[in-house]
Amino acid sequence: MKLEIHDLEKSYGTKEVLKDVNFTFEEGKIYGLLGRNGAGKTTFFNALNSDIPVDNGRFYLEDEFGRNILRTNDIGYVVSTPTVPEFLTGREFLKFYLDINKDRVKDLKDIDYYFDLVKINREDQDILLKEYSHGMKNKMQILVNIIANPKVILLDEPLTSLDIVVQEDMKKLLKGLKKNHIIIFSTHILELATDLCDEIVVITNKNLELVKKENLNSKKYKDKIIKALKEDSNDQHTS
Amino acid sequence: MINILHKTLQIDIAYSVNSFIYVLRRLPIFKDLITDDIYKSKTIKRIIGFFGMILSMVRALFLKFMYFFVILLICTKFFPDILVRAFFHIYFFLTIIGMFINNKLLNTNKKKYFAMLVFNMDATKFFHANIFWNLLTSTIMNGIFFYFFLDYLMLSPTILYSLIFVVFTLAVRLVGEMLNILFFRRYHYVWYTNSNLYFPIVLSLLACCFLPCINITISMRLIIVFTIIFILLGIISLIYLLRIKDYKLIYKHLSQITNVMNSKNEKDYLKQAMVDVKEKDKKIDHKLLEKKEGYDLFNTIFFERHKEILLRSARKYSLILAIIYAVVFYLMIRYTNYNKSIAEFLHVKLAAFVIVMYFINRGAIITQAMFFNCDHAMLQFNFYREPTVILELFKKRLLTVTKVNLLPAFVIGLGNTIIFLLSTNTYPITTLLTTFLFIMSLSVFFSVHYLVIYYLMQPFNKEMEVKKASYSFVTLGTYIVTYWLSGVVLSSEILSVLGILFVIIYTSLALFLVYKVAPRTFKLN
Repeated sequence: MKLEIHDLEKSYGTKEVLKDVNFTFEEGKIYGLLGRNGAGKTTFFNALNSDIPVDNGRFYLEDEFGRNILRTNDIGYVVSTPTVPEFLTGREFLKFYLDINKDRVKDLKDIDYYFDLVKINREDQDILLKEYSHGMKNKMQILVNIIANPKVILLDEPLTSLDIVVQEDMKKLLKGLKKNHIIIFSTHILELATDLCDEIVVITNKNLELVKKENLNSKKYKDKIIKALKEDSNDQHTS
Repeated sequence: MINILHKTLQIDIAYSVNSFIYVLRRLPIFKDLITDDIYKSKTIKRIIGFFGMILSMVRALFLKFMYFFVILLICTKFFPDILVRAFFHIYFFLTIIGMFINNKLLNTNKKKYFAMLVFNMDATKFFHANIFWNLLTSTIMNGIFFYFFLDYLMLSPTILYSLIFVVFTLAVRLVGEMLNILFFRRYHYVWYTNSNLYFPIVLSLLACCFLPCINITISMRLIIVFTIIFILLGIISLIYLLRIKDYKLIYKHLSQITNVMNSKNEKDYLKQAMVDVKEKDKKIDHKLLEKKEGYDLFNTIFFERHKEILLRSARKYSLILAIIYAVVFYLMIRYTNYNKSIAEFLHVKLAAFVIVMYFINRGAIITQAMFFNCDHAMLQFNFYREPTVILELFKKRLLTVTKVNLLPAFVIGLGNTIIFLLSTNTYPITTLLTTFLFIMSLSVFFSVHYLVIYYLMQPFNKEMEVKKASYSFVTLGTYIVTYWLSGVVLSSEILSVLGILFVIIYTSLALFLVYKVAPRTFKLN
């Protein structure tokens, strides 16, 4: 399976954020998307997810059934600020989600299985999402996005707010998922990106650039990434 | 479709019941009685949900009843001779206005946001279910009330007339939804957010509602012709609406435009949008800032960035008031019978201006802007919480807010003085002076009041929710007292003297209190 980006362009007024972006993401890999503040990471995700109108660009998903235009249902998008219905309990939220999406979920399990997957304790399952911490809301958001089994998973800085133990759990979860998915993961933390991701893509000069590891050791690879990031002459206002 | 409606209803009920329990648990009496376990209890939640549903049905029926009742009341009071014709006429034009402004499909709200973007419901099915549900409920309610009201008006055959109007309303709504979506797809914004389009269309249609005043009403024959036209357009609209496949994309772009995506709920967004710094206020004339420094500079920048909601809005109010007064002056000069009654009304019912001043004062909104666009970030710094800084800024803010609010007050004060002067009755100079000062002091009162309660209570959290019941109580109390006072019949001299005295005492006490207490109370929640 491949996700192809063709000629993507996006401007805000006179400010160009993405220009002439052509890139192919492949199944079975976690891509770390790095970029300086305002480089256009979130804009790139929003464009893929059809959350914003783009000035130009086509997105295709090629799988065993052929090459088709990317649909919003193919994507699971975990945004950096979790948005969950706060006046539902965790259990109600998950129950309604599973009810509504039961046709899309492969191998439907019971609710407790899913809570265990993201390690939400029994006593927290029946309280309002409003009372959940930022990290717990984030876990619920990641959970519902992976339950629906979308082919492409976009994660916009999802682990930053989680504690170290949960971060490790989430990393394992994402590594387990990568086999049948294309996962693109944006972060500002270089160590997290090099630790979790198979490929590093930087947004620099309004475009995507793959930073190949080749035979570099960890230190030299990081230096290469930072060098690529420093090349960005883009103004830093829009993210 | 039924399944989608069922699921949406279930989520709605769960959401409302939980919100109700959450609020209940915040009340001191229930705090210890109700534990977290209540959210698990299906029976209790079912009972609350059942009553909630009954209540919302009663509310919807009541609102619809009031809609018909108010139209009937207006017709009975003002057009008793052409009662039925006027009733049909007003209903006809209000429905056409509704076609433009009462569009449900492109409303962004929390319910739709969660349904489509969080629960991942099939957007097309969700929208179809929405169209179906909205039309079904409004048709049933219109049917009931039309039959009821037309029967009351003794119009026969009642069923036939009811049917014509119900079908007309249904078709008009469909056309309205279609036009709204067509417009959005073409221009990428919802038309009624453009005030250059909104006001001319709505105001001219609203003016048509008043045609019975000059004995012009739309005939039943014409209504039937329009009904047939709208039925045809309605069918086309329905086909168009059912054929749309990209509701999710439309909604995503709509949500992006209104920023609802980044806000916890629509109300927050609306509140935030209300106090948003407008584009044209982002650039400040640097000459204004050259000689200023410190908190003086800080305060000037704040008010320059909020010109739209403060200064320009005060100017707009002043202009509207000036036009109203010009009309009143004209009536007084042209018609002698109005001359005495207007001045005398002012003389004995000056208290009515209390509520006018309440509504035109920008105190409430500007304190919200202060918090949301400035204090909520600044209060995180220790230097900003220093008592001297709090009081210095309070003084500067009070002066600026009071000055701006005095502008419309001056127009009212001057307008009232001219009314007294134009009157054929002679009013002593003391009446003129006290009345003028009364209006000015009311303006000072409201400016002081909102700023003082903001500094004494600081009720907002960062989502601009009011977190203190005491603040809600005081603002509600302010409204109730204002409303009550505006009905008082008292000679303008006595009222003015009492009013001015009250404002002097209140302002002195309030300022004393702020100086004593605000350094402790003005903080983040």
